[in-house]
Amino acid sequence: MSSTEQGTSSAAPAEPTTAPESAAAPEVPESFYYVHGKDKVVHKVSAGALQHSALIHGMISNLGYTEEQAKANPFPFENIDGDILQMVVDWCNQHKGKPTPPEDTNLPKQKEKLFDLVLAVNYLEIKELLTYCCKQVAMMVKGKSPEEIREIWMIPTDAEDEAAEKEAKKRAGKEAAGETAAAAGDAK
Amino acid sequence: MPFPILRTPFVVLSEIISILEPNETVTASFCSKNFKCLLKNHFRQKVHLTWEAYMVDVENVGKVTMAEPGIEERVAVLLAVHVSKLNETTHKIVEIYGYKTSFSSGHLILYFEDQVSGSKWIVNYVTDLFNIAVRGLAIGRSSTWAVDWINERQEKPLCRFGLLTPTNNDSKADESVDNVLKNVRASDYIAIDEYVSDNYRFNGKLGPVKILILWRNGHWVTCDNLMNFDAMDIHIGDSRLTISDLNPFLRHWRAGGSPRLHYLEVCSENGRVFEEIFDDDLEIVRTNEEGRYRISCVKTMVIRNCYRIRRMDGIGALVKCYRQRFYMIVQHEKASN
Repeated sequence: MSSTEQGTSSAAPAEPTTAPESAAAPEVPESFYYVHGKDKVVHKVSAGALQHSALIHGMISNLGYTEEQAKANPFPFENIDGDILQMVVDWCNQHKGKPTPPEDTNLPKQKEKLFDLVLAVNYLEIKELLTYCCKQVAMMVKGKSPEEIREIWMIPTDAEDEAAEKEAKKRAGKEAAGETAAAAGDAK
Repeated sequence: MPFPILRTPFVVLSEIISILEPNETVTASFCSKNFKCLLKNHFRQKVHLTWEAYMVDVENVGKVTMAEPGIEERVAVLLAVHVSKLNETTHKIVEIYGYKTSFSSGHLILYFEDQVSGSKWIVNYVTDLFNIAVRGLAIGRSSTWAVDWINERQEKPLCRFGLLTPTNNDSKADESVDNVLKNVRASDYIAIDEYVSDNYRFNGKLGPVKILILWRNGHWVTCDNLMNFDAMDIHIGDSRLTISDLNPFLRHWRAGGSPRLHYLEVCSENGRVFEEIFDDDLEIVRTNEEGRYRISCVKTMVIRNCYRIRRMDGIGALVKCYRQRFYMIVQHEKASN
């Protein structure tokens, strides 16, 4: 008799394990840092939440600030809009000390802010949030035709690229001519 | 709300491109020449791309599909269709690179005056974009040109090949099977499902390949053919081989022939039953052993109450005739233990 069977593999049941009872560690008070964006609004963020940002984490791990010093010296991120920084801070707080899930429902929903958010997250080196944002950008073109993708991602057409290239060449030519003329003037 | 992707830093752009599905990547590459160039550069810098490309050319439709290794479900990324099939009333037509195109089910369809050129064009386009070779080829009877074309265009042999979708029994079938058997090179899998005439014979060698499957119409396979198939896993459907033909094969195997064989399954034509009549010199003995062979990720063949045959070098095999089927499972691992 011959037969076929579904391939199954049975793993041995895992041995119940007991974690060693650790002595209750003394609670260390959480340290806080302060950040502000272009709008100068200061956000108080715990060191735990800030660990998501490789950039800030690198900065604070070398400082050894006291609470007072940290308060007096907020990290300035002048290149990040206030509302964007708020989104980033909120996300870091929501994910403080938690493993990041593969799909994140806590992502900021405002599509019009996505570009600025991506730039900020990339600058602050928040890897998980950057991946989520990039997934959202990739999702924008799901099932779309080339013309639709071109519109969504603002990709110039070949004709536009050619025109821009011509324009750039023209401008470079003019600049070079201007420099030559200026150099000739200097020589006189 | 638009997202100006070209204004994002390089790291971000690379991350977004890495997330795209292959059909989305291919579609996006048609946005502009510059954007295609950017995608090409991305894939040229990638050391290891997990996607594999398959060419499918059946019934006047050329298709490139892609999948991760080991994944059966493939996504179509680009289609080449004869211009006669273009219906401008139902599809929005856009001209790209001088070809009429339409977009449907997540991929572009390009319309060509010449079907063969079209099929070649889309394969060249996709493999150039991702900087990869074609790994799999599935063709119909009228597309056997693709076997020679693939052999010429790339050094890397195919991984999987299929001659599929027979529709009727005509004289071209013999020619197409013959062309395929003589020229195909595939490392992992060759499957043939095609009608051939009663007079069809094949005198060459086939392989090396891991799996060889003749789904139906394997009536042309002789004992000599079987001896010349260099495969680990052989399935023959609609076979005219009898146990008298298989005895010489077992003798050949005992003497060290077909050394890579792990599994043989022969299914007879017209419900003819295989009888367990083995020649004495084969020294076949009955055994209570159970033979197991994993024929796919989800299926394991098990044979019981079978016969044991041993090769001169000590490697054993279990054989079994069960109704219209003959099974042979070689126990390489037992010899090495």
